[in-house]
Amino acid sequence: MTHETPAADQQPTPSVSNRDRTPTFWDRWGELLLALGVCAVGILVVIETQDIRVRQGVVVSPRIIPYIVGSGLILVSIWYAIEIIRSPRTGIAAGEDSEDVDPEAGTDWTVIGIIAVALVAYTLLIGRAGFVIASTVLFCISAFAMGSRRILRDAAIGLVLSATIYLLFDGWLGVRLPAGWLEVLE
Amino acid sequence: MDSLGNLIDGFSVALTPENLLWALVGVFLGTFVGVLPGIGPALTVALLLPVTYSLDPVPAFIMFAGIYYGGMYGGSTTSILLNTPGESASIITALEGNKMARRGRGAAALATAAIGSFVAGTIATVGLTFAAPVMADIAIDYFQSPEYLALIVLAFTTVATLLGSSMVRGLVSLFLGLAIGLVGIDGITGQPRFTFGNQHLLGGIDVVTVAVGLFAVGETFWVASHLRRGTSNIEHISGSKWMTREDWSRSWTAWLRGAFIGFPIGSLPAGGAEIPTFLSYSVEKRLSKHPEEFGKGAIEGVAGPEAANNASAAGVLVPLLTLGLPTSATAAIMLAAFQRYNLNPGPQLFDNNPELVWGLIASLYIGNLMLLVLNLPLVGMWVKLLSIPRPLLYSGILVFAGLGTWAQSQSVTGLVVLYAIGALGYLMRRFDIPVGPAVVAVILGPMAEIHFRRAMQISQGDYSVFYTRPVATTIFAIAAIAFVAPTIIRLMNARRDRVPPAPSA
Repeated sequence: MTHETPAADQQPTPSVSNRDRTPTFWDRWGELLLALGVCAVGILVVIETQDIRVRQGVVVSPRIIPYIVGSGLILVSIWYAIEIIRSPRTGIAAGEDSEDVDPEAGTDWTVIGIIAVALVAYTLLIGRAGFVIASTVLFCISAFAMGSRRILRDAAIGLVLSATIYLLFDGWLGVRLPAGWLEVLE
Repeated sequence: MDSLGNLIDGFSVALTPENLLWALVGVFLGTFVGVLPGIGPALTVALLLPVTYSLDPVPAFIMFAGIYYGGMYGGSTTSILLNTPGESASIITALEGNKMARRGRGAAALATAAIGSFVAGTIATVGLTFAAPVMADIAIDYFQSPEYLALIVLAFTTVATLLGSSMVRGLVSLFLGLAIGLVGIDGITGQPRFTFGNQHLLGGIDVVTVAVGLFAVGETFWVASHLRRGTSNIEHISGSKWMTREDWSRSWTAWLRGAFIGFPIGSLPAGGAEIPTFLSYSVEKRLSKHPEEFGKGAIEGVAGPEAANNASAAGVLVPLLTLGLPTSATAAIMLAAFQRYNLNPGPQLFDNNPELVWGLIASLYIGNLMLLVLNLPLVGMWVKLLSIPRPLLYSGILVFAGLGTWAQSQSVTGLVVLYAIGALGYLMRRFDIPVGPAVVAVILGPMAEIHFRRAMQISQGDYSVFYTRPVATTIFAIAAIAFVAPTIIRLMNARRDRVPPAPSA
């Protein structure tokens, strides 16, 4: 793995060296917020279900299953919240241990933020600038977010990768991809 | 002995030079993508789906068979050398295999995994050859909408309760998947629902988008925000000894046991690959003459679970092909691939598309052999992929995720949905909620609804149709037991723990 810069200058969260570190705000409340979000989705499903038209004389109402799903979400979210409160988790998600993930590091929100920007840029660019340009931009920004600092190299790799994909899929495999600003080249 | 004749026909389809080439391409791409860290078999299949879009159904599914088995092979290499299981069924391989690699036995671990996958995969494919037609016949005779609904409910309960760290987390995942599955046109009345006025949502949210969002985008957010600074430990295989005579004698019984544990459990309409791998591991540990090596790199602990994993991967195809019932995330994506070609897996598939079904099954045999031949000598090349710098690897995954979704939806809405699901995937990863149940629910939810409403229409709105038909009632009862049993067992254990044998003062 090549990390061109030392870790310290791009890690805003203090590095903690212990799995049993003191729980942060997110450790304590994040999961409850998630349960709340699940509950909100359930309520949304129940409300939206009332917009489904039921014609006179149908044997089975088309609202039955959506109502089951919506109320199921609400019930499960309550159960989930109870379980979180009764047995709070320690440390961050264990999941499966993975060599690429440092379970002791806190969440690096800067990285998430920059990647989110890259995805927004991609969504805005793909229809106008085309697949190749949008993908190259996404590739560069996201590699930068994850700590790569060889911007020219990344741009070259991103360009070659997305141009190859474009030629392969659009030209050969019949998957239509937007050419965008590079249309003049064809 | 209809199966044999059909299989021979299948081979005559699969052995044409063109189809052999597609199988080879599939095997190669499947291994290539499967080896990449962070990409498990389900994501491998999802990301490579666009490659097959322009092909005819038969070559597409022959290639798919190769991708499916290739992804499994690639995943085990990553687990052994990098300790990065792409999915929960590979955890055991990562556990024992990586320990072996650290002791300088990487080559032997890779070999026993590859040969074990071949042996078990072949046995299980034979099982599939003979079990699938029988299952299809049973389905034609006994299964109508109430029974299909019961089977889907059974799959829901087992997938949600067996995966993940706790039952409620599995259920959260399941119901989120069901909610995503509601979006789109109502299958029976034809009216749009939950589309929020967006015409791009009329077609529903595709299971491939959900899988790519949860597995690729969510995983990228997760890894990127907790990236290990410094270098990863890739174990080297150069100079390590290949399988010795003792390794062979310890491996082969484990392979066979793994195959016979993996295939039957995988082919149950409840399935999943996790249970057989864990079961195989504990069986090997109990039977081994070297139990002290377990946890430190015992070769049986790699051979058995790897064999079980591959055998159950073939087993999963039994309910998928004969009932149209996917019981793993990977199978859910394969079902979506069938639907793209307007093919509906189920008992009729064997009658209507024998060329496709048997060509696919024959390709599994061929692909398996290709993988063995390809992987034993080429493993050194695959290993190089493990050292791709992570910023470049995960950026590349994001590019491919965007490509797959655009190819599918041709709309910005598709991308927005993908990234929203990716954010959800990050949260689920962060809080240990399994994503498998959500993926399965997205595709099975709408099917459950159609079967429910069809059954109710036939019975004129009488709910007794679900509890007066013996087969359906039995399956519902099994589902209820699967739902309640884990809780009861936990309560009983808790009670036993609470009563101390002798209170000490």
